[in-house]
Amino acid sequence: MGPILLVFRLVLADVRRHPVQAGMLVVAITAATATLALGLSMHGATEKLYRQTREATAGPDVVALSPGTDRSTITALTSLEHAPGVVAHSGPYRQYYTKLTAHGSTGAAVVQVADMTPGPVDRPLVTSGGWVRPGGAVVERGFATAMHVEVGDRVTVAGRSLPVVGIAVTAARSVYPWALGIGPNGGPTDGGGVVWLAERDTRALVSPDVPVTSFINLKLEDPAAARTVSRHNPAIAPAFEGTWVSTRPWQGISGQNFVMLRDSQPILVVGSWLLSFLAIGGVATLAAGRAAKQTRRVGLLKAVGATPGLIAAVLLTEYLALALLADAVGLTIAHFTTPAIVNPSASLLTTTTGPSGDTIFLTTVVALGVAALTTIGPTLRALRTGTVSALADTAHRPRHRAWLNRVSALLPTSLLLGLRLIARRPGRAVLHGCNIATTLIVVSAMLMIHAQPVKGYPGSPMATHAQTAQARHLLLAVTAAVIALAIVNTVTITWAFAQEARPTMAIARTLGATPGQITAGLSAAQLLPALPSVIVGVPLGVQVFLLFNRGDAAMPPGWWLIAAGVASLLATAALTALPARAAARRSVAQTLSAEAP
Amino acid sequence: MTDFDAVLQSRGLSRYHGQGESLVRAVDEVDLDVPAGQTLAIMGPSGCGKSTLLHLLGGLERPTDGEVWLAGRRIDHLNERGLARMRRRSIGFVFQNFHLVEELSARENVELPALLAGRSSRAARRRAADLLERIGLGDRTRHLPWELSGGQRQRVAIARALANEPLVLLADEPTGNLDTAATIEVLRLFADLRAAGQTLVMVTHDERVASTADRLVSMHDGRFVGDTRLAGGTGRLGDLIGLDG
Repeated sequence: MGPILLVFRLVLADVRRHPVQAGMLVVAITAATATLALGLSMHGATEKLYRQTREATAGPDVVALSPGTDRSTITALTSLEHAPGVVAHSGPYRQYYTKLTAHGSTGAAVVQVADMTPGPVDRPLVTSGGWVRPGGAVVERGFATAMHVEVGDRVTVAGRSLPVVGIAVTAARSVYPWALGIGPNGGPTDGGGVVWLAERDTRALVSPDVPVTSFINLKLEDPAAARTVSRHNPAIAPAFEGTWVSTRPWQGISGQNFVMLRDSQPILVVGSWLLSFLAIGGVATLAAGRAAKQTRRVGLLKAVGATPGLIAAVLLTEYLALALLADAVGLTIAHFTTPAIVNPSASLLTTTTGPSGDTIFLTTVVALGVAALTTIGPTLRALRTGTVSALADTAHRPRHRAWLNRVSALLPTSLLLGLRLIARRPGRAVLHGCNIATTLIVVSAMLMIHAQPVKGYPGSPMATHAQTAQARHLLLAVTAAVIALAIVNTVTITWAFAQEARPTMAIARTLGATPGQITAGLSAAQLLPALPSVIVGVPLGVQVFLLFNRGDAAMPPGWWLIAAGVASLLATAALTALPARAAARRSVAQTLSAEAP
Repeated sequence: MTDFDAVLQSRGLSRYHGQGESLVRAVDEVDLDVPAGQTLAIMGPSGCGKSTLLHLLGGLERPTDGEVWLAGRRIDHLNERGLARMRRRSIGFVFQNFHLVEELSARENVELPALLAGRSSRAARRRAADLLERIGLGDRTRHLPWELSGGQRQRVAIARALANEPLVLLADEPTGNLDTAATIEVLRLFADLRAAGQTLVMVTHDERVASTADRLVSMHDGRFVGDTRLAGGTGRLGDLIGLDG
């Protein structure tokens, strides 16, 4: 049998023996890589979806808008049909800024006059129902989703009730709620969506109270040159004399789409680092919990003549292979969930977009890094251990900590046992503390976000601020993932503690410690490191939020943060009580017999 | 029911494992009376139920049937908490594998039962120092278990078992892991304890060790098959063939 085959057979045998641990390792790394891949894929994916939508809808390279509908306005816009580089156009059309009411909710709407057969530029793709006909409205998909409107429903536009005959997507406007395309710094103060109506149906909108603009969609020979179609271009500027025309290149529209995700990206990227950290904690606990058995296994392999290289390969291959598997699963999850996250308002065509090469490289580095960071230490220690002492299991003697034993002798029994358990594995206590602190960082950041005032749109009071809503949803998802991983880690760490402490606790029971004292001792070993973590984690979470927050931040009520800290301590106590109680109830005689050589 | 001369008693004490054809009678209806101050040796082949009997007497395992009485108080129906308190106050265990806590020094190991019993740190330390001095390990108090020889480890384990002045000392193969010299160390310590009136029940497979007891009970297939009074065990250590130190 070749050495490679031998390595894989040994690895496979070990995974079969410890399927739960292998599964937990995969889950922990998958959570980290999926979140990281999502965070890294965001910008590119939004742009990719917009490009796909542009292709499918013959999206314009430039949209030129002008206030009003008078002759000079129309002349200025139509003169652009012959501007250098323009190869096709549709329009000019009118668009009215009004309201749409559906199911009792009202939202700002941009009502566009639509051709019964769309022109060569901007041919909205109907995703449900049909295209505009007299007496029937087509609603942009993001807007329809926000207003809970479907084909067949009735909507009221400017006091007139119309049936919805279709739902469509377009690349000529930014995603809902930025169809209005107005507002400072590229961001609208009003949120609204597009509605297409037949010309006949828009006549009722003509009123001094309803603002109206005209626009034309242009297709260029070179789409990359879209930004050159502006009043600053000497070849075009004369057409704009005497009137105001603003131009929107497709790159600007695409960029505006990402505004909605601007707060989401740091949540996912920072969240992925925190999840990676938790994964390291979880995997390190698993690796350390198996260290003694691993060392004995190394002793056996050495005794039968395995070289250090072969042994290192056996020990590392398992974790690295599982990490690569987790990376693949994480990337696959990101592949399928990215469209839903980068297209929160459903205004773009949703197709799956694979992570880029850079993203794949980075997540793979993180996955392998997590595995390597947590296994290289135990592997090297196992390799350095002499064969005889590895087989005799004398390589993992806990250190004597006289000062801690002296201090703990002054404490009640449960604290005495808890402190001495911590002293056996201080590194694990630190990992547990970091686990709690990481969770509280995320929970505190979430509380900070929820403490910020909910912004609505002046024109659409029913719609919460899209950016905030998206950020809240994502942070909630990241928080759920962090809490889930932290729960798994806490149970794993307590179980590992309980397993390792089994002989010591059995001895304590022969000396008169009650199961209650043992349970309390094991729980105390988890709660004591959690205390400083709570004190550090909450302010750190607030600071992380402030780091990424633009503008003034409102602080949540103090009791929210205190409650988060107390809740995490109570949760730790509850989570540790079960494995601790199970360990404490194990038969003393059986435990001591199992320890006998 | 109880005979108040006996500090430790059992009636119909049984411990079964499995069911039907696979039923194993590890301990089968054992009646036992151990008077205060007696050293009782229980002998028998491997798997005859000696250790299980010791665990039942010390409340480490629960009987399938029967009763256990300690100092006139029935203990087999106590809950885990009650059993723990009983062990803390009245029973001392000594194991073949010593079962010392590895990360604690000799003195810290001996202190532990006193601390668990709620004694002050100072009192526990003083008691541990006295005991270690008595067993001749006064100069090894700061040593960790793996820094001690087998005999020294077992003596520390015995000192630990005596920390709370138990009514009965239960020893499971106390010399099973020791060489001859270390065995003599331990037996001398037991002889001193017997002289001081300590009740001792020990399980052994070594006839030479058993012959130092006041009484020898033989077990086979979970039952007592012999009960012999030995004449005057004290002072015979030096006469034992092969154990001359």
